[in-house]
Amino acid sequence: MNKLWIVTMETFLRQVKSWSFVMLILGPFIMFGITIGAGYIGASSGAGSDQIAVISQQLALRKSFIKSDKDDVDKSVTDKKIAVKKMDKNKLAGYLELKITEGKVSGHYYGTSSLSSGMKSRINNYLMQTQQQINVTSAQLTTSQMQALQQQPTLKESIKKKTGTANLAKIISFWITVIMVYMILNTYTSITAQEIASEKGTKIMEIIFSSTTAVKYFLGKIFGVLLVILAQVLVYLVGGWGAYIFAQNSSLTKGFLTQYHALIASVLKNLLSVNLIYLLLGVIIYTILAAFSGALVAKAEDAAKAAQPVIMLNLAAFFITFPFQNNLDSILVKILSYVPFFSSYFMPLRIINNDASGLEIGLSLVILFVSIVGLAAYIGKIYQGLMLQTDDSSFWKRFRRGLSYNK
Amino acid sequence: MLKIQDISKDFGSLKALNDVSFDVADGQILGLIGQNGAGKSTTFHSILNFLNYQGTITWNNQPITETAFDEIGYLPEERSLMPKLTIEQQIIYLARLKNKSAKEIKPQIDDWLQRFAVKGNKKDKIKDLSKGNQQKVQLICTLIHHPKLIILDEPFSGLDPVNADLLKQAIITAKEQGAAIIFSSHDMENVEEICDKLVMLRNGQVILNGTVREVRQSFGKTRILVTTDWDKEQLLNLPHVIQVDCHEEKRFVLTLDDETAGPAIFDELTQGKYIEEFSQQPPTLDEIFRLKAGERHE
Repeated sequence: MNKLWIVTMETFLRQVKSWSFVMLILGPFIMFGITIGAGYIGASSGAGSDQIAVISQQLALRKSFIKSDKDDVDKSVTDKKIAVKKMDKNKLAGYLELKITEGKVSGHYYGTSSLSSGMKSRINNYLMQTQQQINVTSAQLTTSQMQALQQQPTLKESIKKKTGTANLAKIISFWITVIMVYMILNTYTSITAQEIASEKGTKIMEIIFSSTTAVKYFLGKIFGVLLVILAQVLVYLVGGWGAYIFAQNSSLTKGFLTQYHALIASVLKNLLSVNLIYLLLGVIIYTILAAFSGALVAKAEDAAKAAQPVIMLNLAAFFITFPFQNNLDSILVKILSYVPFFSSYFMPLRIINNDASGLEIGLSLVILFVSIVGLAAYIGKIYQGLMLQTDDSSFWKRFRRGLSYNK
Repeated sequence: MLKIQDISKDFGSLKALNDVSFDVADGQILGLIGQNGAGKSTTFHSILNFLNYQGTITWNNQPITETAFDEIGYLPEERSLMPKLTIEQQIIYLARLKNKSAKEIKPQIDDWLQRFAVKGNKKDKIKDLSKGNQQKVQLICTLIHHPKLIILDEPFSGLDPVNADLLKQAIITAKEQGAAIIFSSHDMENVEEICDKLVMLRNGQVILNGTVREVRQSFGKTRILVTTDWDKEQLLNLPHVIQVDCHEEKRFVLTLDDETAGPAIFDELTQGKYIEEFSQQPPTLDEIFRLKAGERHE
């Protein structure tokens, strides 16, 4: 089997078998589960006391009300006595008595507190519609007269593109993008730098390099980490899709999803685009730098320190995006969208803002790709020398000696 | 055959290797000796292509590339394994990097663990093993793929005499199987015992190169082992005796500055009578090492 693949798989399997990776993967799902569970428990425990009963001698009247508002009605209660008992046990908010006397519809609500404005409005609407039906029937109108009476006024909304959902979608996409890029880069630069540094600390590199070339080993490590990232993204995509399906069918979240369908679709469109390529290439270039950083330390104990320079660079790029969330047309944003290590943040933001042409995106991707290849080639070349410096001498002495291995 | 021709390597102003040349044939053991910093590890690193150097190194008349790595077993000076892996996982991972399949290696592991008397189970984690056992596992990793060229950097350091014997036996077995073996050591007894050839480096230069016998003979028979009633002072007054060491009671080692003085000293000590022991020999490797290392400071 190809040695590059052996190193890649060893790195990948070691990472995915670790508890930290399992927790990293499960974390968001556990949080999602806890949120849904808490919401469900809260909703279940309070559900009974929010509902009302509908009592009426005219069964058709009761039935038609329930049909119009089944979520707010406890259908099991059919008479006053049971309703009062349930109210005493705090399992019912109140009951509504409906009747029609001499062609007049009336409703009487008995409760422990006032009706909510929404509920009151729904009951009023129902009563008015029912009364209108009775009035029309008793007036014995012709079809044309009835049609004339059924005319309804209309209300139209015209929304400008830069406001409303479109603008909100951009703001949400901005924050999700920068936080997602920051979190993923931060996690994997730490993992890579620590992985390389602790391996260097075990001083096994001489044995490894007597079996395969440093370039192959270096690339195997990078590919291994990338496989871990892909595994994580895959789990999140499948899990996210599953959670979305679940949310669509859950009574708790169904209403929210319907209400914000356009917004969610717009945000997803912004995220699941060429921006994912920027994320992936960003991870690669940061991972290469993290591997270099890890190769510079001498002891396993210093592994945690190894990631610091790359984490600081990532943090800087993350914070620089903040002032531009409402000013994505700035010249600095345009410049940084071409600069490797920053373009993974800034070009996606320009794409979300519809401010980057295909040519600009292509050029930025080419610069990023060429930088990745150049950086990997250079670091791959000096990697062996750096990884073999495990003595306790000063950083610069080790660094100079590492570089002189290739002279 | 491993052939090293005129290799040199500088680290800035430091000349780590200076025109080093020697060769090791198949089925031959070469001991590379020298003080710390003499260039032994740099020589190994050059053979393994860890660094760029001037000169030529070939293995079976071909430059050493990644393909040749599969035929090499290397034990570095620093003992190191991956602590979180089990013994089995570690051996298999390193063997796979030598192009051996897990299927091929797995059935051999128990036998190797037994051969090196490793205490523990192959499912034990490396970090749970004693230092000595970790060292033995590392030796197994070096040898399990039956390399044709074995490079051992200070293999005996840290081993007790029993385990040192196990290692010597493994080296001799590999030699009998036709492997070319090169190892560095500060223990001259081991070098003298199992090496066919030796090379001594000083300041990156070869100062001794030949078979153990040739090297020793080249220093002349300047060493006399004698058992006598004479005391140290009397012995020091003998002609051409420059040093007297007493190893046991009445048993001395005399160092001469002229080997031809041996018969005269024999006559002087025996005076026609019986003497329990008198042997004129070339110096031991240990003495040669001390002598040549001492010259450095002259």
